[in-house]
Amino acid sequence: MQIPWRAAPRAALSSPLTLIVSLVTALLLSFVVAAAVMHSAASGSAAVDYQQDRLCTESLHPSLEMRSPPEQVTPLLDAVRQTVGDQPMLPATYTREARADFGGKQTYAKFGFRPGATDRLTVLEGGSKDGLWVPKSIAMTTDLQLGKRGMGGRLPPVTAIYADLRDPLDAWWCSERSWVIPNTYAKYDLATSVVWMPSAASFADLPRELAGTVDVTVRFPSAVPRTVDEAEDLLATGTARVKPIADQGVRVVSQLVLPVENAHQTVGNVRSAILPLTLISLLIGLAGVATVTVQWAQRRHTELRLLWVRGSGPAALGGRALLELGLPLVVGGALGLGVGRLLVPVYAPSTALPPGTSTTASAAVLVVIALSVATTWATAAVRTHRMFQAATTGTRVRRVLAAVPWELATAGLAVWAWNRVQHSGLATPLKIGGLPRIDAAALAFPLLVVLTTALLAARVARWALKASHRASLWSKPPAQLAIRRLAAAAGPVTGVLLVGVLAIGTIAVGSSIAGSQKTALEFKSGTYTGAESFAQVADDTVLPDVLRGNSTIVGLSEKNEQVVLVVDPKTFNDGAFGHDVDPALLSRPLRIGSAPRREVTLPGLPAINPEEHLPSFPKLGTSGWVVPRDKVTSADDVGSWYVWSAKPLGELTEALADAGIKYRNVGEKKKAVSGLPFLTIQWTFGFVTAIGAVLAVVAAIALLLAIEVRRRQNAVSGAFSTRMGLRPAALLSSHLLELGALAVAALAVGLTASMVSSGFAVPKLDPAPRLTPTPELPDVFPLLVTTVAGSAAVVLVAAWIAVRAVRSARIGELIRD
Amino acid sequence: MADGFDGRPVVADDFDRGAVLADAHDERPVAEHVMRLREVGVEYRTPAGSVTAVSEVSLDVPSSGITVLAGPSGSGKSTLLRVLSLVERPTLGAVELRGAGTAQLSSRARRALRRTEIALVFQNPADNLIGHLTVGDNLRAAAQAAGRAVRVDELLARLGLPDTAGWKVSAMSGGQQQRLAFGCALARGASVVLADEPTSQLDSTSADLVLETLVDLARQGVPVVVASHDPRLIALADTSYELRNGALAA
Repeated sequence: MQIPWRAAPRAALSSPLTLIVSLVTALLLSFVVAAAVMHSAASGSAAVDYQQDRLCTESLHPSLEMRSPPEQVTPLLDAVRQTVGDQPMLPATYTREARADFGGKQTYAKFGFRPGATDRLTVLEGGSKDGLWVPKSIAMTTDLQLGKRGMGGRLPPVTAIYADLRDPLDAWWCSERSWVIPNTYAKYDLATSVVWMPSAASFADLPRELAGTVDVTVRFPSAVPRTVDEAEDLLATGTARVKPIADQGVRVVSQLVLPVENAHQTVGNVRSAILPLTLISLLIGLAGVATVTVQWAQRRHTELRLLWVRGSGPAALGGRALLELGLPLVVGGALGLGVGRLLVPVYAPSTALPPGTSTTASAAVLVVIALSVATTWATAAVRTHRMFQAATTGTRVRRVLAAVPWELATAGLAVWAWNRVQHSGLATPLKIGGLPRIDAAALAFPLLVVLTTALLAARVARWALKASHRASLWSKPPAQLAIRRLAAAAGPVTGVLLVGVLAIGTIAVGSSIAGSQKTALEFKSGTYTGAESFAQVADDTVLPDVLRGNSTIVGLSEKNEQVVLVVDPKTFNDGAFGHDVDPALLSRPLRIGSAPRREVTLPGLPAINPEEHLPSFPKLGTSGWVVPRDKVTSADDVGSWYVWSAKPLGELTEALADAGIKYRNVGEKKKAVSGLPFLTIQWTFGFVTAIGAVLAVVAAIALLLAIEVRRRQNAVSGAFSTRMGLRPAALLSSHLLELGALAVAALAVGLTASMVSSGFAVPKLDPAPRLTPTPELPDVFPLLVTTVAGSAAVVLVAAWIAVRAVRSARIGELIRD
Repeated sequence: MADGFDGRPVVADDFDRGAVLADAHDERPVAEHVMRLREVGVEYRTPAGSVTAVSEVSLDVPSSGITVLAGPSGSGKSTLLRVLSLVERPTLGAVELRGAGTAQLSSRARRALRRTEIALVFQNPADNLIGHLTVGDNLRAAAQAAGRAVRVDELLARLGLPDTAGWKVSAMSGGQQQRLAFGCALARGASVVLADEPTSQLDSTSADLVLETLVDLARQGVPVVVASHDPRLIALADTSYELRNGALAA
């Protein structure tokens, strides 16, 4: 290798700024790509995690459920144990409800055994594990005492009375919910909690009239999968493990099948949705790399010309650039990968990355580094070719490229994307519990609008700066100087404006759409359940003291798709979700949304034909009627009654149980609606926000660099101007005007484009259109304040750098070459 | 990347005897004229239309001595020098190097000729040197580009720049830098040395040193073509051509 090439890496140290810019450019570029890989992989983990939270941990591994005569349970479980080998298993056996005699009032009871069950119950009396554990509900009904033996002494003695289990259950009980939760209320005593037997052997000794056919469940506790791969692996190995038993006709319950499918689809949805923006960011980053190389070629012009006349060709001179700028690109790329990995908790929806994600991200970063290196080489080669060999070709190519109306092309894409938004943006799920198909092209609509607007703004700015020589504002020297400085640096100015608009636009689009999905999920869930939590109770239930002020009782009467909600005007707002309805309004019958304006008659209610109207209402959504409770003619005939509470479900059920109020059909807002489709869009646009933040950093650095690169010209002109009488304050205001105009333009265009496009897109991006309300744009004020404050900070710093250069300048030194 | 070098050394003693260049030229065809231009014209396209920089110039560059292209600013001297150095293709006419036409040569072949046959010295001394290399490395780099090696200390002594091999280029005066630039041309063993206004940016003392160097080069049999309007340089010419408005003066 010849000396100029061999000495290139050392020569690079002559311009630390170039090295830093190269390094930061490569860092941001590889960060975006690595983050895109990790974000989409993490979205699968987040989808698994979200769905698991709605499933039961103990039954994530495919489990077995069967009916069997009691005497065959032990051989059956032995066979299962033999088949699954070392895999831990947790069997449970339950009898059906049968009339049981504990000596007092007769009751129904079912008997069960699950190893370790008595360790996970709240003991109220007794506690010895060598006898029956009876739930409080049965103990109260039968006035049962410890030590009693039921069924005429044929049952083991009662050694403990425990508190009935209630929702929400902890993970250990979750899979057994349908057996261990009594699901009863005052008028229905048949369904009971479980009377726990002391051992599996004692279970076999149950009187025949109690045993009958028993239900057997076999769960296989396993490590909870954190990623899609782990979930898929658990499902596959689990299915293979229980297959020999399943082949004998035993029912296999595989809860993970759909979640794994959904998680895969989520990864695909997020990946395809963030791909276009990632590619745009990649192009912007490579353009940055090319710009750095062009500046390098300008700085090294003398040396390059010398090497050229000595016979070096474009390829060799491209190599010269690479030897000087390559190392920062490689180091920056590696740092970007590291930063991407470190910041996973900040930008990704989950910190659990499937194995191989880091390898994929590293490979992607390697490709990015290779592209950056190739861009540097090619740019230097083409640049030197144009500078020394074919001076006119580049100008023509550049003129043609500048003349191409790129914004028309992106506008065309935006129109096409809008068409997709309107017709197939979010299609109906193909299966129950499945995800709706999310169209990446539809999600790209607001971003395409922002990109089009950014390109348009850059073109208009270019024209305006070209025409700015006509502006004569010498009566306001700061403004005139600001315009001239902007016009003199038309290239960097339009570049910064383009990236600035893109940055602000993507941040605004990302945060507003992500925010809209978050609130849509919250409000749709709340409207669907009507309250934070609910439980069905008897019609004569009175709210216990602990629920007063935070709960209300409502009735639901339905007939032929007509729904009437019976409310208590005084307490309704205490328990209902999100709506603060005037109690005076609630004291009269109401027509909700699109409910027909005619007389309606439903069971237990008088005929109603309300005058008053509200557009929407909890539980009813946008169709139905509301009737105050005092109008009810027969509470017993109203279909069902519920306690609606603003408290979490656990607190509601605890309060009801403590008050001795029987309930069933409980539910809570956070699990009422499958949020995965909402979360998919939220995660996608969360990443858009992250890329917007990266672009904002790029715009800020580009602005500061543009100022630093022009430091000498700024210093000369500023120093001359101040010596000719321009006040320092006027100089500062001139720089503030110059940079502020750029920032205000980027803010105004970026925010307007993003808000308009998001405003159109948000109502259409509704994963659950049958549930009200339709997604709406969130409050943009915090976003506005943040972006304005951030832009102002950058402008102030840049203006300070410019003015500082003038203050520290000595004209004598400046004008000497 | 540039080609490797064949290791033929350039030494001060050889230089004194004129043996280096003669030796270097042994393998090359001997011709009366190292370069010839025939009816050469150069036009540039500008937004305002086509501009003629050089028109129908025919001249011969002898195989030895100093040839001066004289003329006022804007007369086309530098353009003609770029054509002679094979950096720029003429719009019209033919350029011959050692009797061989160059019009049909590819860019790659022209680069190869520039690498081994032609040395070009720019007006600004700093433009002829690589600023981040030492003086010695500049000479070595120049020789390497032509596929040669150089005995740096001996060559520097011959140029009147002894013990400066380890210096930074920026530590030298303009005159020293320009002499070093001719040293680089010499280190490359080129068939012809072309210089564009080599004294225009130097004070008279420094310019005198450069003139001495040019005379030395010519004395050793290296053909030198200089574009200049410096009367002292024109006075040294063995052959001179006067350019006016892009054409040879009658």
